[in-house]
Amino acid sequence: MILPPFELHQPSTLDEAMATAQKLRDEGMTFDYMAGGTDVLPNYKNRLNARRQVIGLGGVAELTSIDDTSIGALARIDDVARDERVLALWPTLAKAAGLIASPPLRRLGTVGGNLLLDTRCYYFNQSEFWRASKGYCLKADGDVCLVVPQKETCYATYSGDLAPILLVHDAELEFRSPDSGRRVKLRDFFAYDGTRRFEKAADEVLVRIHVEPTALATDYLKLRARDTIEYPVMGVAMGVATKDGLVTDLRVAVTGSEAVPLYYGDLGLMGAAVDASTADRVHEALLDRIQCYRNVPFPPGYRKAMGAEFGRSLFLQLTGQQA
Amino acid sequence: MSSDRHEKLHPHDDAVQRHGLIGKRIPLIDAMRKSTGQALYTDDLAPNACLVGKILRSPHPHAKILAIDTSAALAMPGVHAVLTGREAPNSFGVLPVSQDETALAVDKAIFIGDGVAAVAADDEETALAALRAIRVDYEPLRAFLDLQDSLEEVPEELRLHKKTVGGTNIHKEVRQNFGDVDGEFERALWKKRMSFRFPGIQHAFTEPLVVIAHYDADERMTVWSAQQVPHYLHRALAKVLEMPMHRIRVIRPTVGGGFGGKSDPFPHEMVAALLSRKCRRPVRILFDREEVFYNNHGRHPSKIEVGLAIGHDKKVAALDIDALIDGGAWGSFGVVTTYYNGVLANGPYRVNNFRYRGRRVYSNRPASGAMRGHGAVNTRFAYEVLLDEAAHDLGFDPAQFRIDNALPAYTKTINEFRITTNGIVECIERACAMAKWKDKHGKLPFGRGIGIAGGFYISGSALPIHWDGIPQSTVHLKADFDGGITIHSLAAEIGQGSDTMLAQITADVLGVPIGQCRVYSDSTDTAPIDLGSYSSRVTFMAGNAVRRAAEEMRSLVIGGAADLTGYPPELFVLEDAHAINATNREVRVPFVEALRRAMKDRGALQTSGCYSSPPPMGGSHKGAAAGLSPTYSFQAFVVEVEVDLMTGKPKVQEVWAAHDCGRALNPLAVEAQIEGCVHMGLGQALCESFDYNKGNVENPNFLDYRMLSSTETPDIHAILVETYDPEGPFGAKECGEGPLLPALPAVANALFDAIGIRFYEMPITADKIWRALQKQKKSAAKAAAQGASR
Amino acid sequence: MTSASMTSSDESALPTSSDARPEKRVLHLRVNGSDHVVAARPYALLLDVLREDLALVGTKRGCDMGTCGCCNVLIDGKSVMSCLVLAHEASGKNIETIEGLAFEGAELHPLSAAWAECGGSQCGFCTPGFIVTCHELLAEEQAPSRQRIAEAISGNVCRCTGYKKILDAVEVAAARMRAAPRHETDARSAAL
Repeated sequence: MILPPFELHQPSTLDEAMATAQKLRDEGMTFDYMAGGTDVLPNYKNRLNARRQVIGLGGVAELTSIDDTSIGALARIDDVARDERVLALWPTLAKAAGLIASPPLRRLGTVGGNLLLDTRCYYFNQSEFWRASKGYCLKADGDVCLVVPQKETCYATYSGDLAPILLVHDAELEFRSPDSGRRVKLRDFFAYDGTRRFEKAADEVLVRIHVEPTALATDYLKLRARDTIEYPVMGVAMGVATKDGLVTDLRVAVTGSEAVPLYYGDLGLMGAAVDASTADRVHEALLDRIQCYRNVPFPPGYRKAMGAEFGRSLFLQLTGQQA
Repeated sequence: MSSDRHEKLHPHDDAVQRHGLIGKRIPLIDAMRKSTGQALYTDDLAPNACLVGKILRSPHPHAKILAIDTSAALAMPGVHAVLTGREAPNSFGVLPVSQDETALAVDKAIFIGDGVAAVAADDEETALAALRAIRVDYEPLRAFLDLQDSLEEVPEELRLHKKTVGGTNIHKEVRQNFGDVDGEFERALWKKRMSFRFPGIQHAFTEPLVVIAHYDADERMTVWSAQQVPHYLHRALAKVLEMPMHRIRVIRPTVGGGFGGKSDPFPHEMVAALLSRKCRRPVRILFDREEVFYNNHGRHPSKIEVGLAIGHDKKVAALDIDALIDGGAWGSFGVVTTYYNGVLANGPYRVNNFRYRGRRVYSNRPASGAMRGHGAVNTRFAYEVLLDEAAHDLGFDPAQFRIDNALPAYTKTINEFRITTNGIVECIERACAMAKWKDKHGKLPFGRGIGIAGGFYISGSALPIHWDGIPQSTVHLKADFDGGITIHSLAAEIGQGSDTMLAQITADVLGVPIGQCRVYSDSTDTAPIDLGSYSSRVTFMAGNAVRRAAEEMRSLVIGGAADLTGYPPELFVLEDAHAINATNREVRVPFVEALRRAMKDRGALQTSGCYSSPPPMGGSHKGAAAGLSPTYSFQAFVVEVEVDLMTGKPKVQEVWAAHDCGRALNPLAVEAQIEGCVHMGLGQALCESFDYNKGNVENPNFLDYRMLSSTETPDIHAILVETYDPEGPFGAKECGEGPLLPALPAVANALFDAIGIRFYEMPITADKIWRALQKQKKSAAKAAAQGASR
Repeated sequence: MTSASMTSSDESALPTSSDARPEKRVLHLRVNGSDHVVAARPYALLLDVLREDLALVGTKRGCDMGTCGCCNVLIDGKSVMSCLVLAHEASGKNIETIEGLAFEGAELHPLSAAWAECGGSQCGFCTPGFIVTCHELLAEEQAPSRQRIAEAISGNVCRCTGYKKILDAVEVAAARMRAAPRHETDARSAAL
């Protein structure tokens, strides 16, 4: 299956990449950055919003390093899953990375790519032929959403695995563009719907993810139809701290539900007792908040219920009430 | 009577006595090629000058084709040929009674993905650009996307094909009735009727479909295609191309998996040949995975109602089956499938009152056809689940209940199947023993359970599709000066090991190492006709054919040894690559010398062996031929399963799969077939589903069409039960399909043991289990509340 | 088509005749220790270049979408799907395919040998991808458990075997490689 034609630019440094981006922009051309390619290339094969110009970042080695406070956006997912520093500082990040897709895909895919993963939907992740036969959707080539028929909002599902735990850790994203650089909190980054997804200019490239060390007890649970290859159709990350039998910090984030990963904060449970009834309140609060659509595997009601179950289970486990 | 023959074969047959190759664990003879990347599949053979063929597909499920304008495509540089359906209107199909396919749609397109036009171009991009330049005017028609809709009487324009039942879109309706089903239901000790639902599933072989065709300078057509039945493709090509068969050569390169999915002649094979003839250049059509799903004829989506009555003697009193199956766009093997959904429920248990109605409908979806366990799988599920319910309700052990109902060996079923060897009881007993059934059934903690199910399957269809009197299998052997034995057969090696089986039997009979045999089974030019690799027929039929050819060759070689030594031929045996005088083993002639002597006056030795099923052995009722087989395989599985009570996720822990294969010619290969069957059966039970979104296939890819991965596949214990079939080659019968059958119901029965819930719809996914558990909890709470209030 | 919208492909990204495509560029590839120079379009996939330009057809095309593992090759020792790697992105890297991994000189590699003996292949179409993946595994771990092997191959799909005989083959190969330690990596890097 061939790709649509595009010109490939292969910078070997970030500065070169920015120079290329500036040049393309100045010439009025649209382009995509490509890191590991495991998201971009299948979409391109399906002729999904393919660009005529691609800046391949595979040669930009400076963006792969990991230190005590940050991870290069081009670090491969598999390297992050096994990195001793990550395992020690942010063990749940390593765990979530290790649950992504399948081993060969983890060797290609990058942390940045997973964070910025395009959203997914049965009506979107299909070939040009399929979409033509169905009638194009809002997210590509059409003007009506085929999941929830209207013309404003795309309901495709955010399917990255790393966002929830990075939301729990209050990570910051560092971007570069030809003109400047900026840092933004991950919690402020995702917005809008399944098409617009987040606040990022086309020429901005994600370079690093900054994560502070944490004392929280954390974990991540993922629902998927099989133990491998699959994207999360529900994923919950939680961080908890307790003192004297009371919750002193609680952070919950969810993926695989709506068009963006959602940070739910403490669910209004700060100061609650560390007991089974608080776990039930976590369950209740998540049932209240999680919203799913019929556009990825498993019925929405089940996925939502699992999100709530995961929340309760994580709370019990992270507060030592359950093995 | 016939049981004497049974006795004779075991353990006194010659192979056992000679310690020959039969029964030995032998790696498949093409294994080294495959594990080094040297095995060549169709796409690996593309000549450099191959054009790329691409097919334009209908975006409508049902539409008249008003006009097609191909002029712009044809005018594009790099485009060498364009084809439309009207240029090749001759219909074809695997069954003579269902010749309802054409190379491309002629007057109307009948599913999303149906081929409408095709191009051959220099490269893929040019071909795709040419497809975009073709203009097709469609007039959409009402689409038939639900089983019930196809039962309606409709105007001719809305019928998918000319031949349908009574003005509807029903393709085939069959009825059978034996005994007094209604009476038995009235008198029954226990009875239940239940409706079961099955989505379609797909073969999902890893090699996408690909074909290369070349109409060459000699005006001969050569077609390379990954085929299970080169012979049927050969016939269909002759019909569509209007060429004599002898000017067409079909070559079957290494095949990357079939499972029934490569056993029809297919439109793209016709298209490639037609395109090549138009531009006189080789043309390759390689499918995207999505196209494979459109082109494929998967297992029929089905709605099956089954009624089971148990009599006061604790035996199955009556079985009443009504199957409604979705055939999709074309006939394919569907007439056979329609029968199989009923008739193959007549074992492995005795049924004296049996009624069946089977209906197959056409619909505007990709066609359904033959898939591993063809026609038997879904009904088997329904039947075995109801048996389990009966056993549970009546307080019987489900394993013993099955043993009590088992057919004996050497009997006839009510629909007059001739049963010979039958290992069902041994299968149940050995699977239960290994699984520690008695310690576990009903005794495991909530969430964990164990279940059992049986099955039986044909070992080759006794009646060939084409009633032309040609033997079902013929094998030619040639031995020449080099001592090598060349085996010519058209039985298709598709990974199941048929080449190895042919070589193994030949080597065993001739007493030479297997490496001295070489198998050429890839070309219709050199191989005698064999009906190919489907209906679990190859070991039984081609195995018998090759054995006969080898035995004739043995006599010739022994003749040479007798000439050389002066001893009479009847004293000689062939062993250790020698002809040996059995009464005086000092007298030994190397095989090659005996062979050369035998060649003295006649040149290379050539022998031929063939196999045809025994003369008619079934009944005279309508449809009596369906399901007839020279012998049947039997199987029983025990499955242990665990359910995650929070998510409902089922995990099969272990499978004990006992299969009566008659005789394991090569235990390594038999185990491999059983393990593969179990994996595929568990997939249908737990996660596989070919989903539709109205007329569209929702999941035409390997991400969303889910097969069990390596980490979800349980430990599978293959248990080989050998019953030494009197007519099978060295006692063998099939092992490639039957072992799929018990997998589905054994899982469902294990789930019942685990959580006390029955499932009547495939696949049994986590969300369905979770929902059922929620419901169970609620009704338990309600019952407790009511109990408390009393 | 809403060409003004950002939610559609660039118009020229649709299939076009050859003159509208970006030019082929020279591509240097090191495959199985040999250097190759081919001309490939910027958007050519490594899988296509291996199969069509270098005639290394042992690497199979299964799904084109990274979901089956039939096209796996080693790039700098890591098993990845060549249907999701641009050929030009693999330039300068050390690529190994089944053709290079099956033999060491005239000797069959223990993985390929064990695969054949244990029945790891039936149709064999997935086999090259599996063996490539298992080369990576056994380079990292000398004695992986069956569970660990199953995880390592979980990105590869086999429709024939039910995986049991594949696990058998990897265990047997690992045991043989432990018994007769090899200096595979050293030998290979010396050769480069």
